[in-house]
Amino acid sequence: MLLLQNAIVDALNNTEWAFPLAECVHIGGFAVGVGSIALVDFRMLNLALRKESTARILRYTEPWTVGALVFVLFSGLMLFISQVHIYVINQVFPWKMYVLAAAVIYNFTIHRKVANMDQSSQAARNTVAIISLLLWVAVVFGGIFTGFLE
Amino acid sequence: MLASIAQSLENIGFLMDFADSVLVYPIVLSIHLTDIALFGGMILATNLRLLGLTFKSVSITEMITTLRLWKRLGGTVQICTGLLLATSEATKYAPNPYFWAKMIVLGLIGVHALIFRPTVYNNTEELDKSPVIPAYVKVAAILSLFLWTAMFTMGRLIAYWE
Repeated sequence: MLLLQNAIVDALNNTEWAFPLAECVHIGGFAVGVGSIALVDFRMLNLALRKESTARILRYTEPWTVGALVFVLFSGLMLFISQVHIYVINQVFPWKMYVLAAAVIYNFTIHRKVANMDQSSQAARNTVAIISLLLWVAVVFGGIFTGFLE
Repeated sequence: MLASIAQSLENIGFLMDFADSVLVYPIVLSIHLTDIALFGGMILATNLRLLGLTFKSVSITEMITTLRLWKRLGGTVQICTGLLLATSEATKYAPNPYFWAKMIVLGLIGVHALIFRPTVYNNTEELDKSPVIPAYVKVAAILSLFLWTAMFTMGRLIAYWE
């Protein structure tokens, strides 16, 4: 494990393009992941795609969400282990991880369940969608602030 | 010439305050990035629909017209936050080749819109009537995906040039 970590750290720190590449995968990945979830939220809020059911929109977007999440977590892990010493003392980073965990759990439990329900009040759908958007926006802000505050 | 323009931009009072602020700069950058996710996700979804890869039960018209307002709003937020970020550090951006590469890509996105708007994005009802999605529509979608990927990649690389 330590050997593997060293190999990754070496690759990311000594190859000029490896760190920015991992960052680009991270950004592209979260754009696809968060964007696909946001489409479901916009549908739940009746802001777009109203001719199709939320359950159907979820079915179309979910493979993209899951696929993107894999890329984001993997590239994020690479970025993390290449500079562990910076992240472990960072004040913002643990909060980003807590909110991320909450957002992922929320997405595949409550959010998913309400999106698949035929009958749920508009108030409930609005609440679920807004919480989802807020959680994911908070994760993105957490990522930027991890880089800016120490 | 460029350097002096950059210098005078940076010296505009509110941009100086902005660049010096510990919190405002990362907040604006976070908005820029959050907007990529919301707005970028919609562009991806539209292009996947044009490629016939997903959202098959949603008409092209529904996909393009109901997302249009949100994409425009997202684009406006991108330009406003991007302008703040770039002009407040104008002297760093002016010699940065990735910044100019990003601006060229932005220009190409404009050209893409001029070329494909009449036949694709403003022609959705005809496309929905067609039994197969025409090849030029798929070309438009692939080019759009390529250009937007180049856009955020160049954006990230701006930070790496010294």
